[in-house]
Formats: sequence, C-alpha cells, structure tokens
Amino acid sequence: MEKMEKNNQLNTKENMMQLVFFASALVSVLAVIAICLFLLMRGIPAISEIGLKNFLFNQKWAPTNTPPTFGILSMIVGSLYVTAGAIIIGVPIGIMCAIFLAEFCPISIYKIVKPSVNLLAGIPSIIYGFFGMEIVVPYVREMIGGNGYSILSASIILGIMILPTIITISESSIRAVPKSYMEASLGIGATREESIFKVVVPAAKSGILTSIILGIGRAVGETMAVVMVAGGAVMPLEKIALLKPIRTLTANIVTEMSYASGLHTESLIATGVVLFVFIIILNTALSLIKTKTKN
Amino acid sequence: MYNTKGDNEHMKARKKIILIAMSLMLILSAVGCSNKQTTEFNADKEITVIARDAASGTRGAFHELMKIKVKEKETETDNLAVGALEFDGTDKVITAVEKDKYAVGYISIGSLSDRVKPASINGFFPTEENVKNGDYVVSRPYLLLTNGIENDLVKDFLSFTESVQGQEIVRKMHYIGAVESPKLYEASNISGTIKVAGSTSVAPLMEKIQEAYKDLNPNVTFEMQANGSSQGIKAAIEGTYDIGMSSRNLKDDEKSQLNEHTLAIDGIAVIINKINPKTDLSSENITKIYTGEITKWSEVK
Amino acid sequence: MENLINIKSNIKKRKIQSMFLKALVWISGIITVGILAYILLFVLLRGIPNINMEFLFGTYNSETLSAFSSIVATLLMIIISLVVAVPIGVFCAVYLTEYAKRGNKAVKIIRLAVDTLAGIPSIIYGLFGMIFFVAVLGFKTSLLSGICTISIMILPIIISSSEEAIRTVPDLYREGSLGLGASRLRTVFKIVLPTAVPGILSGVILAIGRIVGETAALIFTSGTNVLESPTLNLFASQRTLAIHMYMLASEGLPHSKDMAFATGAILIIIVFLVNLATTKLANKIGRM
Repeated sequence: MEKMEKNNQLNTKENMMQLVFFASALVSVLAVIAICLFLLMRGIPAISEIGLKNFLFNQKWAPTNTPPTFGILSMIVGSLYVTAGAIIIGVPIGIMCAIFLAEFCPISIYKIVKPSVNLLAGIPSIIYGFFGMEIVVPYVREMIGGNGYSILSASIILGIMILPTIITISESSIRAVPKSYMEASLGIGATREESIFKVVVPAAKSGILTSIILGIGRAVGETMAVVMVAGGAVMPLEKIALLKPIRTLTANIVTEMSYASGLHTESLIATGVVLFVFIIILNTALSLIKTKTKN
Repeated sequence: MYNTKGDNEHMKARKKIILIAMSLMLILSAVGCSNKQTTEFNADKEITVIARDAASGTRGAFHELMKIKVKEKETETDNLAVGALEFDGTDKVITAVEKDKYAVGYISIGSLSDRVKPASINGFFPTEENVKNGDYVVSRPYLLLTNGIENDLVKDFLSFTESVQGQEIVRKMHYIGAVESPKLYEASNISGTIKVAGSTSVAPLMEKIQEAYKDLNPNVTFEMQANGSSQGIKAAIEGTYDIGMSSRNLKDDEKSQLNEHTLAIDGIAVIINKINPKTDLSSENITKIYTGEITKWSEVK
Repeated sequence: MENLINIKSNIKKRKIQSMFLKALVWISGIITVGILAYILLFVLLRGIPNINMEFLFGTYNSETLSAFSSIVATLLMIIISLVVAVPIGVFCAVYLTEYAKRGNKAVKIIRLAVDTLAGIPSIIYGLFGMIFFVAVLGFKTSLLSGICTISIMILPIIISSSEEAIRTVPDLYREGSLGLGASRLRTVFKIVLPTAVPGILSGVILAIGRIVGETAALIFTSGTNVLESPTLNLFASQRTLAIHMYMLASEGLPHSKDMAFATGAILIIIVFLVNLATTKLANKIGRM
C-alpha cells in the first residue's frame, strides 16, 4: 500500500517535470510568435499609413521634412549591395581557408589557425566597426579613392565578419566527405589538389551552401559595424557606387531610433519588419537545403 | 609515424610557421605604412560633406540657421547634398574630419578639441565671446518664457536655472552659459508642481536641470511636454503651462507678451581638417557646400 | 609521339595549376590569421596603455570616463540572463532528446523555432525588446528589459549545445540506470545531465561571449545611460561594456577615443578568455 503511494507520488512528480520540460521547449516557439506578432502589430499600421508601395519603392527618405516622406528602397538596395560585396570578399577566402584547414594544414599550424578562426567569431561587432572606422576607411580613401565611407569599406568589414561562419561550417562539411572519394580520385591519376577541388569540395557543396546562406544572414543583419563604416547617406539609386556611401536597413533603424517620435518611430519598426522578412526567406532556404540533403 | 618521420615533419612545420610569420609582418607593415596622411592639400578634390542624422538636434539647428532646411508656408524641406555622410554621434564626425583632409562637419561648440580645427564664419571664430555678442552667427539661445505671472515656485526654479549650480549643468552639457555672474542657489523647502512645455532641443538640458533641482527640493514635481518651440511660446502666452521653452529668438509681437530668461546659448562650430587652408568660410559658402552647389574646395571663395 | 608530348605538357600544366591552387589555399589561411592579428594588435596596443585603476574601478565623470558601472552592469546581465536562460534551454534540450517521440510534430515546430531564433539579427531583438519589454510590459528602458531580451537571444545557443551534449551520452548509461530501477526523471537528473555538463558548459561560455559583445539589441532596451557608480538596481537604465565603447566612440569628449580603445581592449581580453575556456572544455569532452 505504502509502496503504491510512493509510486503514485513518483508518477505525479514525473508527470509534472515532463510538463516543465515541455513548457521550456515551448518558450522558443512562444518567443518566435511574440517577435513576429509585436513587430507586425507596430509595423503594419505604419506601412498602411505610408502605403506599402510608397514605403518599399520610394527612394526618398526625409522623415523630418514637412510633409515627411518615408521610402526605404535605397536602403533595401543598400543592404543587398553591401551583402553581395561581403559575399564576394568573404566566400572565396572563407572556402579556401576551410579547404586549407581540412586538407592542407599541418597539425602544428592547425593549432594556430583554428583558434584564430574561433576568436574571429567571438570578437564583438562594435570592435569590427571601430577597426573599420579607424583603419579600413582611411585605407580605402588613401589607396582607392572616394572619402572612404563606402559600400566597399562596409563590404570588406562584413566580408571579414562572415569568415568564421563560412570557414567553420565548410570545414566540417569538407571533413565529412568520405575518404574513399579522395582515394578513388588519386587512384585514377589526379593530383592531390585536383582531387580536392574537383571531387571532395563538390561533394561537400550542400554544407558549403549552408555556410554561405548563414553568412548572408549575418551580413544582412549586421548593424553596429556597418553603421560605423558605411557613411549613412541615403543615396538615390542612380548615384549608388562602390566608393560612395550607403545606408542599410539596419543602419537606418539604429541611427534614427533614439530620437525619433510618432510615425517616424513606427516607420523604423516597419523597416525592421522588412529586414525580418529577408531573414525569414533566408531561413526557409536553409531548411529547404537541410531537408534536401536528408533525402 | 612520429618516430620515423617526426623530426623531418617538425622541421617542415617550423619552416612553414616562420614563413607565415614573415608574410604576416609584411602585410602588417604594408598596411601600416599606407595609412599615413600626406600633408599636401589638393583643392580640386571633392569636399566630403558630413552631417548628423535626421533625428539630431544639432542637425535641426544647423540646417535651419544655415538655410539648408528651407521653410515655406506649409512645407519644410531639407536640401542636404546627395551623398553627404550622416553620422549618429559627435565623435564620429570629429574622427571623419580628423582623418579626411577634404572633410567638413559641424559639432556643438562644447565638443571642440585639438583633433580638428574650427573654421571662422564671416571672419569670426566660435569663441564664447563671439557667440555671446552675436558676431558668430551659428548659434541660438535657449529661452525659458513666462507670461509675467510667476508664483514663488516658478520664481525659485528660475533662480535655480540662473544659479551657479544651474549654469554648471549648462556647461556640463556643452552649452554656453548665459548668466554673467551667477549666484549660489539655496533650497528653501518649497513644494508643488511646475508645468513645462516647448522645444525638443531644450528638453534634454531642462531634464538634467530638473533632476538637480529635485535633488535639492524633493517635494517638487515636474510635468514636461516636449512639443516644439512654437507650442512652448504659445503655451507660455496663454498661461496653460508655467514655463515655455524656446530654442529660437522671439518675434517682436511675442516679445511684448513674455518674460525672457536665457538659459544657455547653443553654439555650433563648423570643423575642418587641421591642414585645410580654407580657414574662413562665409555663411553663404557653408549653405552652398551643404546643399551640394559647391563640391570642391577650390570653388570656395 | 605528338600525343605523348601533349600529355607531357598537360602534366606540366596540371602541376602548375595544382601549385597555384595550393598557394591560393595557403594565402587564404594566412590572410585569415593576419586579419585577426591586425585587429588584436590594433586594439590592444592602443587600448592597454589607457587602462588604469581609475578607469576600471573609479566613479564615472567626463574626466575618468570610468567603465566600472558598465563592468558591473555587464556582470549582472551575464549572471541573471544565464539564470533565466540556462534552465529553460537545458530543459528544452531534455524534452527534445529524452521525452519527445521521434518525428513528433511538436518537435519539428520547436526545432524550427530554435533555428529561427538563431537566425534573427540582434537589431530585430532590440526592436522587439523595445516594443515588448520596455513598452508593453512597462519595464521602461532598464537593465531588466535588456536582460529579458538577451535571455531570448542566447536561448538557441544553449539549446543546441545542450542537445548535442545530451545526445552524446551513451544509451548504455540510461539503460543501466533504468535497469537498476531508477525512474526516468532520476536517470535524467542523476546520470544524463551530469555526464552532459561539459557540453552544456561550453554552450554557456559561448552565450557569455555573445552577451559581452552585444550592442544592437541593448541600445533600445537597457539603454545607453551611464551611472557614476555601479548599482544593483535592475530597473535603472545601465550600459554594458560594449555599449560603453560604442558611446565613447560617438560622444566626442576629450579623451573618449582613448577610452574607447581601452574598453575595446578589455572586451577583447574577455573574449579571449572565454574562447580559451571553451577550447579547454572542448578538449576535455574530446578526451572523454
């Protein structure tokens, strides 16, 4: 009898804890729902007041004029350019470095390079921004031209920032390619380099693609570093150039939010909604790749 | 494996490490050398125009005073040049001007340092004296206004703003004090509520002063509405608020109805790189530079 | 004969190509390490000479620009947000690994949510925190709002590292424990979680790194207010070290640039220590 009671007690405890575990697991789901809900709740009214077409496709952003205009096309394009630049700079170096780590690197050097990559991932974005402002911007100005605050500077900084993401994930996916691929390729007379570039790397392509998409996500969403090097000018589309300043979606939010009021604030939140949509698209792409590789 | 080939591999690895270290040093020194600024000034280079972000109070004041922002009856348009840099902090402006020979920017006078130099405007440098007597044109008063009906509490608070303690806060916030010889304020255990309305530019300074006042007079509470200078002036005339805040000079018809207390003077310095030879700018030139009519230093007359 | 020459020249070409690829790969490795070395040297060389006791432990004013209150705020933020997020994260991982049935719909949704959280940029977290914690829940711009925001941000890091750690616990352990008559719950708390501790810890350390370096999510939630001396008041707006650096880099006070470097040096040293700890732990796990 006593034992039964004890068992019962145990069972309720077990059930209760199971509930606690499940509730904890639900927190993430609730958080995602809350983030979507509240962003949309504050962003959608602003967009409908400004007009979706006017908000997305107007290049003029003049929140302090009377009457104000809130068009973010220039910033959408700016975010795309800067991200593309980061990919052009970061992806080749990142993938090459991943190949280096996975295939070429002697252990003694691996012990230096691998922690370096990890450290690169841990450096706060504000420090990247500071580095960009103090070193990259003057360098671009003196060596290449323009006033330094430019798409190019932002691309360089973002390219560096996405390196660790690309290197880490690409490296592990290259390592996951079965050794027999390499052996077979060497067996038919290919050199080591040829085998790696023509057999091993293509076999790891879904992992590498994942790393690139994660890199894009990081570049699109990066704020503090971009604010410090991109110059913050809202450029008309026809004047956008590699050496000219630019404003991204993230920069728009962070520079103006602190003093904004009224519709201006709401329109900045709406800018966040647009950014969020970009991120959702990237996430969907990621999960598509995941399911595809599983099959 | 390590026993047979170990030494050899070790040597190889060491060689490689040395190689890497050397190439690293090469990169570092290359980048380091290239970063030095040359001192020649090419006046045909484009001016790097630097402004603050749209939400900044300094920008609002500067663009209005320099007619970069044009007001017509119903509309207000900021004609800032296309491609002008917009930064959300004073130090970013200073850093950019410090490093870019061809840059021009504007900052609050209190933030001037020897990393850059201020340009004189119409021949006058932004010294405290020139600002106070109005020779330096890029400045504006911060006014506290009442319609003459001042109760004891309002009087006490106004005397605090003009006291040593009040003006100390003004200076701390990088404004120029407007009181010649401030007296020391002594708290008199007063209580009540003061209603303040007006300029959004004055509001941050006002908030600090209110905090300090409340420390000395814990029974006083404030109600503050930051809704713009014109609203503040209107509220003070009508008496709906005890004190109106304005960051612009009063028009004549307003002047006759109000008591003015100048809380502080907000001066804005136009800064240029230390090697820039164009040290004097006319206000007309500044307008042209900032609206993109002039794009090269050689065009600045 | 001609064919043979062709093949020979082809081999030569291919050898040169291979050398070229090899060089490219090496250069990429060198560039990566070089950039890191450059950033570290740049910040440390200009920052460390400016660090002094006054800066580390003094009261803040426009002369000292002391980071003391920011250091305390950062510590508070780390401790409290870990206290909030670690149990939730670990329990979530326990649910996913020990309780949920495979292919369960709920699991799919939870996984999707965790992945989504991991991909959301910090500025969006900042906006959400500003809307939800600051305004809707009425926490105002305060350390508390910042902590709540950060707790959600680090959740996916803790969940995925815990999940991975729990999965590596051999089934034999569980079977043994269950076979001895221990309940499932007891098995989780006495066998599975203790074995997974190093893995969970490495997630915690990663999270600390993220908290220390975060700026964009905190500007609108915990605010940029600087206190003269530290306070434990969670309802006060306080700035963390990273925000202290950002503000110093935009404020324009006389030595704010030097002090921004000093703050940057402290940040880098912290990040370095955090990384060292993670590597040590990872090695330990590898040896087990």
